[in-house]
Amino acid sequence: MQVDISRLKAGEVNLGTSIMAVQFKDGVIVGADSRTTTGSYIANRVTDKLTHIHDRIYCCRSGSAADTQAIADMVHYQLQMYTQMSGGPPSVHVAASIFNSFCYENKDALSAGIIVGGWDKEVGPSVYNIPLGGGLFRQPWAIGGSGSTYVYGYCDATYRDGMSKEETVEFVKNTLALAMSRDGSSGGVIRMCVITEDGVERLFVPGNELPRFWEGEEVISGKKRVDTAEPMTVEA
Amino acid sequence: MPDGSFAQQPQQRQFNPYTENGGTILAIAGADFTVIAGDTRQSEGYSIQTRYAPKVFRLTDRAVLAVNGFAADGNMFVKKVKQRLEWYRHAHAKDMPLRAIARLIQTMLYAQRFFPYYVYNILGGIEEDGSGAVYSFDPVGSYEREACRAAGAAQALVQPFLDNQIYFKNQMAAAGQSHPLHLPLSDVLAIVIDSFTSATERHIEVGDGLEMYVVLAKGRSSQGLDGLRGAQEISTTNDGDRVFVIRRELKKD
Amino acid sequence: MASPSVYNGSGFDFSNVTRNSFLEGRGLPLPKATSTGTTIVGCVYRDGIVLGADTRATEGPIVADKNCEKIHYIADNIRCCGAGTAADTEFTTALIASNMEMHALSTGRKPRVVTAMTMLKQMLFRYQGHIGAALVLGGVDATGPQLFTIHPHGSTDKLPYVTMGSGSLAAMAVFESGWKPDMSREEALALVAAAISAGIFNDLGSGSNVDACVITATQTDFLRGFVKPNERVEKERRYVFKRGTTAWKKEEIKNLVVSETVVGHGEQMDVS
Repeated sequence: MQVDISRLKAGEVNLGTSIMAVQFKDGVIVGADSRTTTGSYIANRVTDKLTHIHDRIYCCRSGSAADTQAIADMVHYQLQMYTQMSGGPPSVHVAASIFNSFCYENKDALSAGIIVGGWDKEVGPSVYNIPLGGGLFRQPWAIGGSGSTYVYGYCDATYRDGMSKEETVEFVKNTLALAMSRDGSSGGVIRMCVITEDGVERLFVPGNELPRFWEGEEVISGKKRVDTAEPMTVEA
Repeated sequence: MPDGSFAQQPQQRQFNPYTENGGTILAIAGADFTVIAGDTRQSEGYSIQTRYAPKVFRLTDRAVLAVNGFAADGNMFVKKVKQRLEWYRHAHAKDMPLRAIARLIQTMLYAQRFFPYYVYNILGGIEEDGSGAVYSFDPVGSYEREACRAAGAAQALVQPFLDNQIYFKNQMAAAGQSHPLHLPLSDVLAIVIDSFTSATERHIEVGDGLEMYVVLAKGRSSQGLDGLRGAQEISTTNDGDRVFVIRRELKKD
Repeated sequence: MASPSVYNGSGFDFSNVTRNSFLEGRGLPLPKATSTGTTIVGCVYRDGIVLGADTRATEGPIVADKNCEKIHYIADNIRCCGAGTAADTEFTTALIASNMEMHALSTGRKPRVVTAMTMLKQMLFRYQGHIGAALVLGGVDATGPQLFTIHPHGSTDKLPYVTMGSGSLAAMAVFESGWKPDMSREEALALVAAAISAGIFNDLGSGSNVDACVITATQTDFLRGFVKPNERVEKERRYVFKRGTTAWKKEEIKNLVVSETVVGHGEQMDVS
């Protein structure tokens, strides 16, 4: 069976995104850009793609805005029910499993790539990746969305086990800034959530304060461009 | 494709060289004059490209051409017609007669039978016998002489109105009377203005400005044109047929 | 003739789907729905929300209605601007307005904007974009001023200033250059009018007048025809046809007065 899950319905709102989640010593940091597009138009330049699922569980959404919002709302509902019935907060794995079953069972109707991150008392911090047609993969770090393809190499080269919170924040910030600079469907600001046992801390990097990397010598140093060709002169 | 699937079914794409740029033109012939008019909006889809792009052009002191459809083709076509008329002047030391221009336009359009100019042409002016005349063309050169014609985006809105007001279609004449064969200039101008203000109300591609060209037969009085608001004479001589242009604003929404 | 009965379920009637898809396959195009090729906007200001809309409704390139209402009632403190398929925005907002009233009655509380937003997005998501309603939802409730956009597929955004419809780009350009936090009622109304005007004059799908609606914690003012920059000029001629203009084939005069004699029957009623 060939299912074309990558295609959005005509006129659908798209989260052509850069998202990521990284596990560190005391918790998880989830991060995302803030761009929502319909075709070439930016429908929302300050979108919050980090969605609250439970007290210590967040998800990063990529793909169709409508599909991922609906799924997140349904998982949120399921976890509220779960909490009431079991008498305690769900584990990140439980949350991610519910995401997975929605994404897998309805793969022909959905375009949703979701990363779930959070902290629970069973295993501490954990990150789960649920790619386009469903599937549940626990990873120390995960990146997703159209911008992620540009930064796999950077993540492979930079990530280390057992980073501190500060190091991880820098890692997430730099990765997203690099992805946003290369991917036209990503951009705006960087939003991050630091999820630890103690609580959730929201971080915000404005668009004009994003980390900058190589953009061409003259942009970085302010040097004037050196013309290799001499301008033509006309004899009077 | 983000999932790496490139091979689906084969897809065929083709470059489409034509665009529809909206707007409407019309022409009405009187006994010894002709009015040729067009709005000045040029649009593509839901966007306005410009609020002033003329669609009506003076060719000679007795011929005016209105072009509507694909603006790029229209402008090119007018340019080439003007060039042919210039060559005619050099060869014969006079302006080409209206009916000859009409036949010239036919051959020029039909020459492009299999890659047509995407335009509807309306030629208006004064014949050699001094009567007002309107010639209307399809994009590949079929043409006929008429008393009035509307073309373009709002043709379906304007032509029935003209049929009723100029040809008196569906109107019974009062007992013992008959409908006039030709209307006076003031009535024709009023009908043209009302056609365009009404088309502006109900068609989204019509509006911004109105340009009405009036061609008067040689020796006729200016019929109050001199005093008319926004009227301006653009003829090259005073002893032949005369051309006037009247500009009015239309709604811009 | 179909009539409401126990044999018909509620909701949409899909009984013509097979026939219509057959006809479409034979080359018969489906009728075009009236679309509100529209400019609608909303913005937050110091004391609440200002919503705005143009008043043109189109069928393809033809103006179907020069002065239609695009700001729909949801609740006393909540309004919703609709763009897209006119019938869909009309019925969707009416249905949610009804459900909101029921919800308010059963909870005994003033309705919240998020409630309407959630109802709308869940309904539009269920119909997978086939209900072509693009909405700007605004209102003031217990949690303060609230403003949302809802796209036809069911995604929502929460922002301090929003635009939708074919004129949304023109209107957003005005907001992006002119919006600031904590505006006064007058400033906000002027900005909304400027945004709608940008749509009216630069987008062919939008036109005619500016409708506005100001919602505060204490009252809602619907300003129908807030700005009217496109009044029709007076016509050059009068088009009244003389009596006898229309031809006829035959003349027939019918007597519509029915005369009948009433015969007394039984005992006369005592009216004394």
